[in-house]
Amino acid sequence: MIGLWSVPLLFALPLALGILSLLVTPAWRPRLIFVGLPLLAVASFDVLARLVVEGPRIYELGGWQAPLGINLVVDGLAVGMILMTTLVASLCALYARVYLRDYPPSSSFFWPLLWLLWAGMNGIWLAEDIFNLYVGLEVMGLAAVGMVALRATPQALAAAMRYLLAALLGSLAYLLGVALLYATYGTLSMAGLHEAAAPNVTTHVALALIILGLLLKTALFPLHAWLPPAHGGALTPVSALLSALVIKASFYILMRIWLVLGPEVTPIFTAQVLGVLGAGAVFYGGWMAWRQHHLKQLVAYSTVAQIGYLFLFFPLVTGTGPEAARLAWDGTLMMLVAHALAKAALFLSAGNLILAVGSTQISHLVGISRFRPMSLFSFGLAGVSLMGLPPSGGFTGKWLLLHSAILSGQWWWLIVLFLGGLLSAAYIFKVFRMSFREGPQIDRSVTPPLTLDVTALILASAAILIGLTAHLPLFWLRLGSAFGAG
Amino acid sequence: MSLRIVSAALLCLAVTGALAWAVLDRPLPEENLPERVAAAMPESGVDHPVTAVLLNFRSYDTLLEIAVLLLAVVVALALREAQPDRPEQMGLENPLLRAVMAWLLPLILIVAGFLLWAGSYQPGGAFQAGSVLAAAGVLLRLAGVTTAWLDNATLMRAGLALGLLTFLGVGLLVMIPGVPFLTYPLEYAGTLILLIELTLTLSIGLTLISLFRLTPPYADDPDEAREQQGKTP
Repeated sequence: MIGLWSVPLLFALPLALGILSLLVTPAWRPRLIFVGLPLLAVASFDVLARLVVEGPRIYELGGWQAPLGINLVVDGLAVGMILMTTLVASLCALYARVYLRDYPPSSSFFWPLLWLLWAGMNGIWLAEDIFNLYVGLEVMGLAAVGMVALRATPQALAAAMRYLLAALLGSLAYLLGVALLYATYGTLSMAGLHEAAAPNVTTHVALALIILGLLLKTALFPLHAWLPPAHGGALTPVSALLSALVIKASFYILMRIWLVLGPEVTPIFTAQVLGVLGAGAVFYGGWMAWRQHHLKQLVAYSTVAQIGYLFLFFPLVTGTGPEAARLAWDGTLMMLVAHALAKAALFLSAGNLILAVGSTQISHLVGISRFRPMSLFSFGLAGVSLMGLPPSGGFTGKWLLLHSAILSGQWWWLIVLFLGGLLSAAYIFKVFRMSFREGPQIDRSVTPPLTLDVTALILASAAILIGLTAHLPLFWLRLGSAFGAG
Repeated sequence: MSLRIVSAALLCLAVTGALAWAVLDRPLPEENLPERVAAAMPESGVDHPVTAVLLNFRSYDTLLEIAVLLLAVVVALALREAQPDRPEQMGLENPLLRAVMAWLLPLILIVAGFLLWAGSYQPGGAFQAGSVLAAAGVLLRLAGVTTAWLDNATLMRAGLALGLLTFLGVGLLVMIPGVPFLTYPLEYAGTLILLIELTLTLSIGLTLISLFRLTPPYADDPDEAREQQGKTP
């Protein structure tokens, strides 16, 4: 009974809270998290418990079966993403409640936008229908654009507008692809497409449109130009949500569709191109991050770089043996989750450092290690995962990808993994070098509220812990996937 | 600049060509969804297949689309509140326009009501009726007619939320017997869909009116905006 309720509650609850937060007075908006976060946590863990006990399942909305109605898929991958969202978004919400106190009342519209963003993301994780995914993308995308615009400065509005146009172009390309697939196979359900899909011109054009649209939304190099101003310029909790979760959704859709269409339809050549673009992102993003003078811009370019690793999934899973493909799946998902945790931590702790010194310039961090060790510690822990040092989640993910590359004989991706790690170290240590430099002896830094430091520290610790206990989440994530047997 | 235009034009041509090829070379689907819709019509509670798909078979998509509309207003509200208040300049003090409005308004309301009702057996429904309703709101605004309830922020927000809230509430309440989200019981399906459509019409209309009303009255030409700011103390 409860099992039947917890699945729809994952999107119905945030929708209801979104409406409610619009109706209450601005002062009450942040307080709704004390109702919403525990309920969403219970629903998320209930879904996980049922997945582990009863196995993956299909949820038929409206009681209609797949080609006629819309189904939801509750498998390991979907549940893993839901739990990741619950953890990261909850901590960002707790952070935002304190952080937004110093901002004008109009920033309280963050709360309805947060809940609707959450509903859109949970809708995407659960979707089994390619048109429903489009609607989910629109809910999430518009909420994300609104969050970027919240600051309402000319720069923020320009960044939001750019983001909106990129997101819309991406959605429309995706929708064109969906229309072609529907016209060819007469179904929107992934299960139906998996059975029917065949290599032909229409399917390949549709796939190309879907890939291009989703690449633009994921901001893969060279389609990343909208990301740094949007993610780097937003309010800190917004930056964290967008970089950690929102860009993962379009990658997740691409991953699902790639596997649904299957090896007969997805060309190895395209997979290699996606891998090369990923490599380009790792190098270009890392280089640009190292060159930035503003702290949050550095973190935003680091996202551009980290997205690149995820795209190694496609060459490593297409046309390779089952063992290499399983390692690629495990490694990519570990990188994805570790990046979500580490990047949220990095943005939140960067926000704390900016609050402390009252400047976004990296050069103004001189001497801050003496006064704000905790903020810097979170920044460093998150950096460890991004650099891929053991025992973090970033290390485990890279290690699995490395094994997959060796097994499938594609040694050239090892260079990407190795040099990418060095570049990450370069930009993380750029911040540290500045903070450890001896500066003025007087404490001119502001002490941010404890909540801000604690939420960042929890996220950073989670990025390390997930590497130590990688076995269990990776086992859950494989449930119901094509890699489950391994 | 011209290089950009040429490359953009080439890109457009390439996409159009690829699309044309994809459509012309398309294999015909084996799955016949319209047939399935026709077969399930008796269980849908309405007589028009489009309404059946939008509000029963694929009602979850519609629910999320309404959330998108609400989101647009939330963003508009946030941006409007973040901007310093400017004098409202909209509305023409024209007696002729007001006289015409008196004739038009009842007609518009009747057309909206008809479209809503028609949705159950022929093309029409909440989206179309809501748009017509919004046209009435826009005309009122242009004629400079101020209504207390349109300017009441609380009432307005309640109206905006009503459609999505009802939809969500119905979706959750029907689950009590132990069926999935949005599974209407057959005997009440028609009534529930009408209830949802009725509230959606109102909310969609108010959404479009709000987007119109929340737009700052001045042109967003930066020079003009600066001039205006200089004038107001």
